[in-house]
Amino acid sequence: MVGAIVALCLIGLAQIYSTTAPVGGGASSIFFTQIWAILLGLVALAVALSIDYRSLADKSHFLYIAVVAALIGVLIFGVVRGGSRRWIDLGPMNLQPSEFAKAALALALAKFFGDTRRGTIARGDFMIAAVITAVPLLLIAQQPDLGTAVTLVPVLFAAAFVAGMSMRIFGILAVVALLAAPIAWKFALQDYQKERISTFVNPSQDARGAGYQQIQARITVGSGGPFGKGFKGGTQGQLRFLPVAHNDFIFSAWAEEHGFVGVVVALGLYLFVILRSLEASRLAKDRLGAYLVLGVLASFTFQVLYNITMSAGLAPVKGLTLPLMSYGGSSMIATLAGFGLILNVRMRRFTN
Amino acid sequence: MTAPTEDRRRVSARVGVLQGAVIVGFAALAICFWVLQVVQTDKFVEMANSNYQRTLPLRAPRGVLYDRNGRVLVENRDSFTISIDRESAKHLPETAATVSKLLGLDLAEVMDIIDRHVRAEPVYRPIVIVQDATAEQVFRLRSRKKELPEILIEEVPTRRYPSEALAAHLFGYVGLASDKQLGDGINQGSIVGQQGVELAYNKLLMGRDGVRRVVVNSVGREIGPALEEIPPAEGNRVQLTIDYDIQKAVEDAFKAASDAHLTDAGAAVILDPRTGEVLAFTSQPAFDPNAFASGVDRATWASLNKDELLPLNNRALQGRYSPGSTFKMAVGLAALEEGAITPDFTVFCGGSASFYGRSFKCWKKGGHGRVDLRHAIEQSCDVFFYTVANMIGVDKIHKWATLLGLGEMSGIDLPHELSGLVPSTEWKQRVKGEKWYAGETISVGIGQGAVAVTPVEMAVYAATLANGGTRITPHVIKAVDEGKGFEPVPAPPPHSQVALDPQKVQAIRDGMWMVVNAGGTGGRARIEGHDVAGKTGTSQVISNDGRAAAVRSGKDLRDNGWFVFFAPRDNPEIAGIVFLEHGMHGPNAASVAHHILDTFFAKKDKRPLPPPPTVEMMRFDFSDSFPLPPRKPRQPAPAQPERTVAVR
Repeated sequence: MVGAIVALCLIGLAQIYSTTAPVGGGASSIFFTQIWAILLGLVALAVALSIDYRSLADKSHFLYIAVVAALIGVLIFGVVRGGSRRWIDLGPMNLQPSEFAKAALALALAKFFGDTRRGTIARGDFMIAAVITAVPLLLIAQQPDLGTAVTLVPVLFAAAFVAGMSMRIFGILAVVALLAAPIAWKFALQDYQKERISTFVNPSQDARGAGYQQIQARITVGSGGPFGKGFKGGTQGQLRFLPVAHNDFIFSAWAEEHGFVGVVVALGLYLFVILRSLEASRLAKDRLGAYLVLGVLASFTFQVLYNITMSAGLAPVKGLTLPLMSYGGSSMIATLAGFGLILNVRMRRFTN
Repeated sequence: MTAPTEDRRRVSARVGVLQGAVIVGFAALAICFWVLQVVQTDKFVEMANSNYQRTLPLRAPRGVLYDRNGRVLVENRDSFTISIDRESAKHLPETAATVSKLLGLDLAEVMDIIDRHVRAEPVYRPIVIVQDATAEQVFRLRSRKKELPEILIEEVPTRRYPSEALAAHLFGYVGLASDKQLGDGINQGSIVGQQGVELAYNKLLMGRDGVRRVVVNSVGREIGPALEEIPPAEGNRVQLTIDYDIQKAVEDAFKAASDAHLTDAGAAVILDPRTGEVLAFTSQPAFDPNAFASGVDRATWASLNKDELLPLNNRALQGRYSPGSTFKMAVGLAALEEGAITPDFTVFCGGSASFYGRSFKCWKKGGHGRVDLRHAIEQSCDVFFYTVANMIGVDKIHKWATLLGLGEMSGIDLPHELSGLVPSTEWKQRVKGEKWYAGETISVGIGQGAVAVTPVEMAVYAATLANGGTRITPHVIKAVDEGKGFEPVPAPPPHSQVALDPQKVQAIRDGMWMVVNAGGTGGRARIEGHDVAGKTGTSQVISNDGRAAAVRSGKDLRDNGWFVFFAPRDNPEIAGIVFLEHGMHGPNAASVAHHILDTFFAKKDKRPLPPPPTVEMMRFDFSDSFPLPPRKPRQPAPAQPERTVAVR
């Protein structure tokens, strides 16, 4: 499993090298930053692995409070980039607390659900869990970073689902969501967000503007063909027709240069990692471990599925990175730390 | 810590559900990618290619045109075209605003150009905003190139014609290919000949455009070397039969005639009567073909079309005018060849003669007395030719006029020629469904009535009289260089050939010699030491009755003047026609012809070429003028050019 994770990191690294290499040759600074991020991430993984998850869970409220504090800090002291305030400047690197919120939330929810002694979760429990989720979610949404905020939702539902929440509550929630959608459309969404969604429905209505990325993503993926254009051979990623080819659209660039074969390899690796992690949750010694694994995995899986769908131009464009492959230090470290927790649970399934 | 088995079973089951969901999700994704990457590859590969490859046409220079002595007539120069690449333009109106401000253009006009192209053309074709940009415009744009990647500056070869609209109607002009012209090597955006030699020999001259395929990035900047470059192939060099010096003499003489207020319009066609080679060709007024070379602007086009003198009309090929007295040689020759008369046949002219109960006047009130054929031509005696025409009938006249080249297209290798008309009984029956009346033949005898000819037909007529019966086909192409040096283009075969009785045709030539060198009306075309033969013609544009009323309308009703000539009288080397629309009468045309002939013989005799004629040399004789309408600024023309109306 660690092998598959490292393999994905290396694939991403290669693709970052390919799409960001300066014209003169050599490697970009982005490439080296990512190498450091991976190494730091592996350290974080080792750290997360080494401490028993149960003692970590006991201190989860500290971690949770620390993350919430950091998120508030971001809103006050954060660095503004691309119109949103997401980063805290730490000298040599910028920290994106929202990435760490996922793991912290997973821990907190696992602890919360694990502590309830009843077999099933009552409505009241779910409401409390929802509040625990809502606090960082709303803080992240304020940045604004709706993409990352939304990834917290699967953490809640996955944990609640496995913790035994009745299907009736899920049904009610689904109906409420459906009814709320038009209201949200009218009041909650910003104009640019509405535009993205309506553009997705009909991308050619604005082929130069909002629909551009979606159309280009599809062209990028499709033109890769069965075997791809070869390493550094992509035209869409190399010539910047595809925006942020090293970041949000890294999977499109990968698909262009390595074709359907490369796509199947990458999808296989992700699937392997996810299934192995689910296995870990099933094998977990206690409910806490199982919930923890699911919580961590839920946001990861959601992000992977959404990003890859978007990479193929099949979902509205949203600033969601592809965990493990996309460029981004905080995301890399947080994701690897998350896998440290999963491995932690897996490793300690026999100990008492 | 206890973990109830029931709990564990539930967790296990629910994790199983999640596993299944994840597998289904990944399988669905794999299928999507399979569809995009394997099933629809071709479509997306093409889209990706059109993204990063830009195909730029490299315009081929058109073939250079030379005169018969190897002098360059029409060549190419480099010009700059500024266009907007729609694919890399994010917001066209914004680009238009920036560009028009930078280049000092009217924004509304630029938007107008863009609007027209946006609707009609595919998105990959750049929209040309400025043709033939100035150096300053190019400099300004280049300095802002980085901010305006959607602006393309292309260097394109553009036609350069001689100044002063020399032989504009001969050369014609070039322009963007219309939809009808596409195919056969002509693509959208190709520059092709639209008139004159440029149109007639477009295939030879056009060359083959090249192509440059380059890699561009998402902001339209070219990256690296070209993927592929097919250099353009220049069009073939073409040598024309035109003699620059003669052509210049024609243009200079017309300019002097215009400055002298003799005429504002007319035509001249000068041939080598032995071969049919065109030495000079003009239609006046002309236009500047340079204005078309990089796309004519609307204002110029509108003013050319509104000009009441119709400068775009090619009078030499399309103007149909009554030939007047110049027709008399055809009538005389017909009578001689049909055996109706001999050169010594005489007629008594008393100033008028009566035919079919109607009196026909001679132009000379007192009459010419007894005249033979030679003197009848010299004096242009109307009564003689009334009589002769009446003797042989209209069909014989039609037969011989046609053999001499009148009333039928000359077949010159220039586009859009129209045919003149020499009437016959068959023609009248066919067109009007009426019988020909013998009385109508009388006015045909002096080139009036339904007779209408074009200047180029008249030039052929002069040549056929000069060479003794060969109706040569006039042509302007002499040689073509298809890459292996100039190779002569064979002259087109003559249209027809009759062996005219040398003695009979000599009588006609003698009469024409006397017109110029004895007591005739063509004395102004006399050249010392050379036997010029010619004949003037004056044809009224309106009947005497109509004139009084029409003068008040302010229309130019002055007579048209002709001078048909060849020289030397024996073994002629030059033949031609000068036609002055509203030139008042033939002798004025002879003045124009004088400078042409003088230049021709100066060249032949190796003397210095005569200087361009002055106004004083042109303004000579107003004996038959009538009150002139005041000269006024040109005004929009009536839809139809005014037709020549003959006197009856």
